[in-house]
Amino acid sequence: MSTESHTAARSFCLLGLLFALFGPVGSAVAQENAIRIGEINSYSGVATVYTFPYKEGLMLATKEINDAGGVLGRRLEFIHRDDKLKPDEAVKAARELVLQEKVDFLAGCISSAVGLAISAYAKDAKVLYFATHCQTSRLTWDQGHRYVAHTTNNVSQYARALAKRASTLPYTRWAHISPDYEYGQNLWQEFWAYLKYLKPDVQLVQQNWPKLGETDHSPYITALLQSGAEAFFSGLWGAQEIAFVKQARPFGLMEKAQFVPSSLGNPDELDPLGREAPVGAITTAFAWYDDGVKKRHPALDAWTKKYITWATTHGMKDPLPKLGATWGYASAYIIAEAIRRAKATDPDKVSAVLSEGFEMEFPWGTVIMRGCDQQAIPPQWTGVVKMGEEGKPIVADIEEIHGKDLIRSCDEVAQLRAAAARNK
Amino acid sequence: MEMTTSLFPWITNSPLIAVQVMSGLSVGMFLFLLSVGMSLIFGVTRIVNLAHGSFYMVGAYLMAALIEVLPGNPVSFWIALLLAPIGVAVLGGVIEITLLRRVYRRDPMMQLILTFALILIIGTLVLLVWGPDNKSVARPEALAGSVRILGQPFPSYYLLVLGLSPLVAVGLWLVFYRTRWGMLVRAATVDREMLGALGVDVSRLYTQVFAFGSWLAGLGGALAAPTVAVALGMDADVLINAFVVVVIGGLGSFAGTLISALVVGELQSFGILIFPGVSIVLPFALMAVVLMIRPWGLLGEPEE
Amino acid sequence: MARSTVMLAAALAIALVLPLALSAFYVVLLTEIAVAALFATAFNLLMGFGGMVSFGHAAYFALGAYAAALLAQKAEWPMLAAFAAAPLVAAFGALVFGFFIVRLSHTYFAMLSLAFAQILYTIIFKWTSLTGGDNGLLNVWPPAFLRSVTAYYYFTLLVIGACFLALHAIVNSPFGYALKAIRENPRRARFIGVNVRRHQLCAFVLSGFFSGVAGAVFAFHNGSVFPDFAFFTKSFEPLIVVLLGGMQSFYGPLAGAFGFKVMEWLISRWAPIYWPLFLGAILIVVILVLPQGFVGLFERRAWRLRAVNGKK
Repeated sequence: MSTESHTAARSFCLLGLLFALFGPVGSAVAQENAIRIGEINSYSGVATVYTFPYKEGLMLATKEINDAGGVLGRRLEFIHRDDKLKPDEAVKAARELVLQEKVDFLAGCISSAVGLAISAYAKDAKVLYFATHCQTSRLTWDQGHRYVAHTTNNVSQYARALAKRASTLPYTRWAHISPDYEYGQNLWQEFWAYLKYLKPDVQLVQQNWPKLGETDHSPYITALLQSGAEAFFSGLWGAQEIAFVKQARPFGLMEKAQFVPSSLGNPDELDPLGREAPVGAITTAFAWYDDGVKKRHPALDAWTKKYITWATTHGMKDPLPKLGATWGYASAYIIAEAIRRAKATDPDKVSAVLSEGFEMEFPWGTVIMRGCDQQAIPPQWTGVVKMGEEGKPIVADIEEIHGKDLIRSCDEVAQLRAAAARNK
Repeated sequence: MEMTTSLFPWITNSPLIAVQVMSGLSVGMFLFLLSVGMSLIFGVTRIVNLAHGSFYMVGAYLMAALIEVLPGNPVSFWIALLLAPIGVAVLGGVIEITLLRRVYRRDPMMQLILTFALILIIGTLVLLVWGPDNKSVARPEALAGSVRILGQPFPSYYLLVLGLSPLVAVGLWLVFYRTRWGMLVRAATVDREMLGALGVDVSRLYTQVFAFGSWLAGLGGALAAPTVAVALGMDADVLINAFVVVVIGGLGSFAGTLISALVVGELQSFGILIFPGVSIVLPFALMAVVLMIRPWGLLGEPEE
Repeated sequence: MARSTVMLAAALAIALVLPLALSAFYVVLLTEIAVAALFATAFNLLMGFGGMVSFGHAAYFALGAYAAALLAQKAEWPMLAAFAAAPLVAAFGALVFGFFIVRLSHTYFAMLSLAFAQILYTIIFKWTSLTGGDNGLLNVWPPAFLRSVTAYYYFTLLVIGACFLALHAIVNSPFGYALKAIRENPRRARFIGVNVRRHQLCAFVLSGFFSGVAGAVFAFHNGSVFPDFAFFTKSFEPLIVVLLGGMQSFYGPLAGAFGFKVMEWLISRWAPIYWPLFLGAILIVVILVLPQGFVGLFERRAWRLRAVNGKK
């Protein structure tokens, strides 16, 4: 027994030594006087397909901002941490960034649960948190507070944009297939509620809720085939959406009913499908390649070239711009602008600026930071999937609508917050 | 949850039931292909290879990589299908020789943890080599469409799976019961020491078995690639399913794996219609029930 | 014997004084290390001392965490009451699951424990109205007097310390010896009149109880609970920690927790994409080269020294 605690104590000393040696040493050598933002996201594992382009966008914007003189004469610096897609890891990282690295602000998230967890911590620690990639509307609505701002669109905005386009279709019998978790439920509810509001004669004939990450969708496909639906919405995303589309095609499902997927326009879903892409599907898209879009937004082409060069030099295997890249880019600028307007890095002062709201111009349009909920509102694009050159699918017939014409009003947001407070 | 997919139209709609049964069959066949390798490896070496899903994933990624590199004619698909599993077999062999050989005499838990460590390593290596983007493999032209079964469309590609899996099952039986190598392998499961004493290089035999099991996993991945997205996270999805099938069927029993794969495939296909929310828990509930009532599975051997 | 008591007292004194010397985040990290150490030691009661490896121990950690969070938030119990009740819920879960699990051995034991833990995960994930689903429960903070990082750290030390004392007593009691005998040779133990099943179930429940304590401490430390507390990757954590630290020693898991958490923090900071690779490599190295873990590193040298010096 005594040998054991002896040796344990020794191994402790060794580890303690390692801790003391390496702990402080890796600490980011703070640029004197830089404005430091702790950014927490998923930089390992499955989410990297989204977070790598996002980070490139963020870094590109940061470089531009710093080259132009920084913010309030100081450099902007992002310090990154990996949350491993786990909310408790994110909270730990947030604590480290705030307590140890003494960052001025927190930012980042891709998983909605992570975003909400960091937001709860930020509220408690009174540190301003900019949610950048995760999409849940609860962030700024049900669970909103003054120490959280959302720099990209939320689920409600793009669901409604799609619903608006869908309401122009002649179909009344609808079904859907959505992943069975909070994001999927949130997305479907927003889509359906708005569609029904715009076109009251639509009816829901079938619901399908596969588990998140389901690999075989054939029972749902055959169910949809016999549902009698004229159109169906899909809230699936990423690898699951690709699998669903590939499995559904030979069944002829896309020919039988109008396919309305929420995010098929995203290159990470569309590109791998190649010739198997469902032509005729109506979806949201960041169609930077579309001539109509380029004409409406003359600065976009130059930005795209700039991004491609940047991503290529940074070793990205696929350097073409993704939606996430625009989110990263916009987030850095919005954060910088908020600090600039506040003329301080004090969280309360910056929060006050956010709650007054402001607008910014980006190569893809105007992004409004709305004051009542500190929620960003960018333009939304919907289009139809078509086959482009060399069997590469694209989205065409792009219709643009600004989120400000879709988003829930400040009064509705206040009601949501009150309801959430009551249910607590 | 809310309104579910209604079962009523199904009861009256026999063509759809037929299609659903066929779908369940092809799911079951996929599951068999993917699980039999794990069962084989356990049956011989007594190691539960948790990295099985990772081998499946590597098979799918190799398939995608080969198709990108090979010329765009229809034959390329079949060439890739031939080569990808071989690549995985080589990987398996290397892993067996360098790592697994050292833990055969150890506690089974150490072996399990070693194979778990492989999941972490292989997963990261796949990300580093092929990047984070999703990939896709197209079905070959000849099998891209569908055939009519009782008037309902049924994807032609699934016919390939439905045809290939029984061939694999029969092939396995032939190998293990009609070849000398197979006989040696069966002897090794009974008494490894004796076999060694009789002059057989048992170590090499084990390597061959592990490589063979890996080949089967890679074949499963390569075959599955045209029906799913080739993406990170495939390994976890598939490991759980394979694990459940193998446990229910009985570790080490082929026939058990085949039967249980078909049962699990059909249950998953139909279970979703009856209890929609259940698909997330079904595999584990099944596994728990089997382990509680008959731990060695349907056709496994009770261990002492 | 006296020497080890002195060393332990010294270690405790250092632990008490550390918050004064270190910055707040290190205190946070130490709190998490303490939680991981308790979870791993509770797990090791089963694995190292009982010879039973569970792949589903996250279930009891999660039960402790969720019970504490739910009682504090929804039932509005005072935090300390919720905290006291939570391990009992975890122990109850261990009793129910364990009843079936201990009837099996080795691989099947591990697999059934995994299956039960995943079923629990699914229930937590889907029962959104009660558990908050995949968003979890947020704003589960301790009361004002325990809010500060330092205060909660001392609270953690108190709780974890008490648990360690209890576990140490258990391991060195007749019950603990019977357990070790069962691990060595169950059949012989049965022959000498030990009720093997009952002892194993008892060990399982105790292990579950202390895992629940770890979960409850973590819930209030983190301020939130999530379904992935029950996911199988969480079940592998105590296993890795015990392996790293050494399963044959009582304090091994403590050393392992320290090493693991520090490594995880440092590597995730420098090169997050490589963390799983690194962890896998370390596990392989430990299994192949260092079966006794870090503690074993010193153990062997200690033995060699003694042999050289002619001591017994």
